[in-house]
Amino acid sequence: MNTVIPDVALIDNSDERAPLVLVLDCSGSMQEQNKIQLLNEGLKTLAADLKADPIAARCGRVLVISLGGDSNVEIMGDWTDAMDFTPPELLAGGLTPLGAAMRCALDEVESQKNQMRASGVSYKRPIIMLLSDGESTDDWRQVAAECKSAESAHKVNIMAIGIGDQANKDALGQFSNKGALSLSGLKFKELFIWLSRSIRAVSRAPAGGTVQLNPVDSWAQLST
Amino acid sequence: MWRVFCASATGQRNFEHGVAGQDASHYIVTGDVLVAIVCDGAGSVPEGRTGAEFMVRALAENLAHTVHADPSLCEVQAEGRARLEPIIRGAVDAVRTRLADIAASRELAPHDFSCTLVGCVASPGGGCFFQIGDGFAIQQAANGDCALSHPENGEYADETYFVTDENWSEHLRLTPLPAPERGCVIGLLSDGTAPFAVNRARSGFFRPFIDPIAAFLREATETNGNAALRNLLESPRACEISPDDKTLLLAMIL
Repeated sequence: MNTVIPDVALIDNSDERAPLVLVLDCSGSMQEQNKIQLLNEGLKTLAADLKADPIAARCGRVLVISLGGDSNVEIMGDWTDAMDFTPPELLAGGLTPLGAAMRCALDEVESQKNQMRASGVSYKRPIIMLLSDGESTDDWRQVAAECKSAESAHKVNIMAIGIGDQANKDALGQFSNKGALSLSGLKFKELFIWLSRSIRAVSRAPAGGTVQLNPVDSWAQLST
Repeated sequence: MWRVFCASATGQRNFEHGVAGQDASHYIVTGDVLVAIVCDGAGSVPEGRTGAEFMVRALAENLAHTVHADPSLCEVQAEGRARLEPIIRGAVDAVRTRLADIAASRELAPHDFSCTLVGCVASPGGGCFFQIGDGFAIQQAANGDCALSHPENGEYADETYFVTDENWSEHLRLTPLPAPERGCVIGLLSDGTAPFAVNRARSGFFRPFIDPIAAFLREATETNGNAALRNLLESPRACEISPDDKTLLLAMIL
């Protein structure tokens, strides 16, 4: 009995995306303790680990927003599929306009969702990861409240992470209903591996299910 | 007149956790009428598979009983509405009530049996697709024209609707079907099968996928065809594309 059907094309036509926005503090203090270099290496690890997984490489969609300089917020290139993601080389210097950067992230998420919806591409809930080692130097409270309500409305998932002792964890925690976590001992590599594995999990999540992310203990300082 | 083939494969995700697949399917041919249903039990609830298995059988039997008594019910009216619509609505309601009783007898909530629903009633005079939640139903005519029932997701692709939801009635979608002719293919797909079985524009089957299958099945016995379909759904390439449970039910008029 022949049970192999010949010549059937098996191709993924679904293109269900898992958007990720990285909001990265590149203020002057990131030069200390080699943090900016560790961050750049972390991004390379993220890119490589996403590409190593065929589903995450196809589904992950990444945008990097940096903040620093003279109260600058810069979108580093366009949204890219994880399989094409080449991390920018970030330089540290200047201020910490967290409010403006998160506003930019929220806007980018909405416009990307509109674009995907218009072209019939379905998507998972976008993740915004905010990484900062300091304190916002702009007016951030209104934006933080909007971040929380966007989260409550299931529009986006926000992870706020403080780097080192100087990070104002209370203020960072205002950007998410889950509060902020602290990066333990500059474990950028562990953080980005965890993030990649989270995108892998989100990419694979079945319809109607909830996603159980891995525990954060590989990189987070759980008691402060 | 109908030849029906069906196979399910447990997704890698459930397989790795030692969990049985959550998809279920059932069909009944009564006279010239085909009633076929595929349900996908929610992985996030304890009895998703039980809910799916109960729903496919109970609903198929209910509908087959009704259309057997009066096959003319399947005809699509001049204004394009299926006469079956109120009958399908009533049947889903009745089977939901029975499922709620089963849940109560086990001290569980209907939600614990959450599953999606996609099905068809098809006869020479026409028919109707019915659907709650994700998955696809496609009737592809011999000339390639397709009638489709699309998935309905929440804002995000990982959120969908279930037949067990309180507001199921708002999410029950009915698609009248033109009379099927010789050479047509009707397919019911669970969510896990859709990425490779449906084309990129979501306007029909992916032809390089379905055409070789249809050609093979036309010459196959039921046992042989079902085994071949299962092989395909369990193939490494299919698993690589979709980690979900995969079900494909195909019906053809010969």
